[in-house]
Amino acid sequence: MSGSTPITGYFLIEQIRNRSTVAMLVAIPILFVVVSADVLSEFASALGGSVAGSSAAALGAGWAAAFLAGALGFFQIASSRDADRRLALAGLAPIRLAVARINASLVLGIVVSLLAFATLWLRVGVTHPLHTLAAILMFAVIYIGIGTLVGSFVSGPLEGSLAVAFIFLIDAFSGPGMSASDGISRLMPTREAADLLIAAGAGRTSPTGDWLTVVATAAVALVVSSFAFWFSARPRR
Amino acid sequence: MVGLVGENGSGKSTLMKIIVGMLERDGGTVELDDRFGYCPQLPLLWSKLTVDEHFELFAGAYGLDESEAQASVATLVDDLRFDRYRSYRAEELSGGTRQKLNLAISMLHNPELLLLDEPYSGFDWETYTRFWKMSERLREEGMAILIVSHFLPERDRLDRIYELRDGMSEET
Repeated sequence: MSGSTPITGYFLIEQIRNRSTVAMLVAIPILFVVVSADVLSEFASALGGSVAGSSAAALGAGWAAAFLAGALGFFQIASSRDADRRLALAGLAPIRLAVARINASLVLGIVVSLLAFATLWLRVGVTHPLHTLAAILMFAVIYIGIGTLVGSFVSGPLEGSLAVAFIFLIDAFSGPGMSASDGISRLMPTREAADLLIAAGAGRTSPTGDWLTVVATAAVALVVSSFAFWFSARPRR
Repeated sequence: MVGLVGENGSGKSTLMKIIVGMLERDGGTVELDDRFGYCPQLPLLWSKLTVDEHFELFAGAYGLDESEAQASVATLVDDLRFDRYRSYRAEELSGGTRQKLNLAISMLHNPELLLLDEPYSGFDWETYTRFWKMSERLREEGMAILIVSHFLPERDRLDRIYELRDGMSEET
């Protein structure tokens, strides 16, 4: 066994054999995109925001990917914490363990993003497919980082899932197009990704600088969460 | 083969976790060779993975090649009599069989030092006696074994026994 790929495979098998995980993977992206566009528009209107129509549907797809990726990232880490640590004690380098866990989350994040994207396409059509898919994927990657980070330090499933949900709610309802206030949204991790998706939903492209910012945010999320996982899984000697 | 006994809450499992590196120590030193096996008190397994998948994952972590791993697994599942459960997921195993897997994982790489925390909890009588015979055989082959338990009825089989009381260990 060499590298992190075979270990990633075992971690993926572990997730895929969980029927409720598979059901969530399929149902949530579809429900989010189909149901949430109108709800997001109404919420945005109530909060003083402006997102509506295709942009709201596109944003819903991003949030679907973010929510699922964050939840899966968290539960994957939290539910296997002690067994993973035992594997590290047995000699597997904690950084390889971290990479394998995050790789497994990334594969699931890609699946979720594709499902959300496909639903979006079927429901409202997509003017810039690559632009939209990439932006949805960035939502997922950033929330994989958040879920992994929370899972590395919060052991209780209730406390951890509440923490992820809390970040998600603040992020979603303070983001671009959702609120007239610009205060807290500047601190939230998906601000730029949301700008990209809103633009894609409205049929516009985005400047290269915005893309670079989103990619950098996603990369930082992965690096920080890998370090957090390594820190929590390392042998204490 | 050394036993460590103590009342509930005396710190036996905590000491074991400090020795293996599961818990941070707040003082003292631990000298431990990398080639050790650890069987935790509660089976630390992935519920959706099969018995064989557990062996494959840990064989990789221990650095065993495929033939070494296969030979070791064959011996362990035969010694502990759970060969027919190899394709079962951990969540489908009985408590005793989960404990057999938990124990077998710790011995997969034929360690020089085996650290066992309540290793026979959940075992039936036949498995319990087989466990002791297997431990004696491993000791004769040169393996050092530390068994932590609140209840050590087989004192005659052990070379030394320590009791943990008020944070201090004392040979009995």
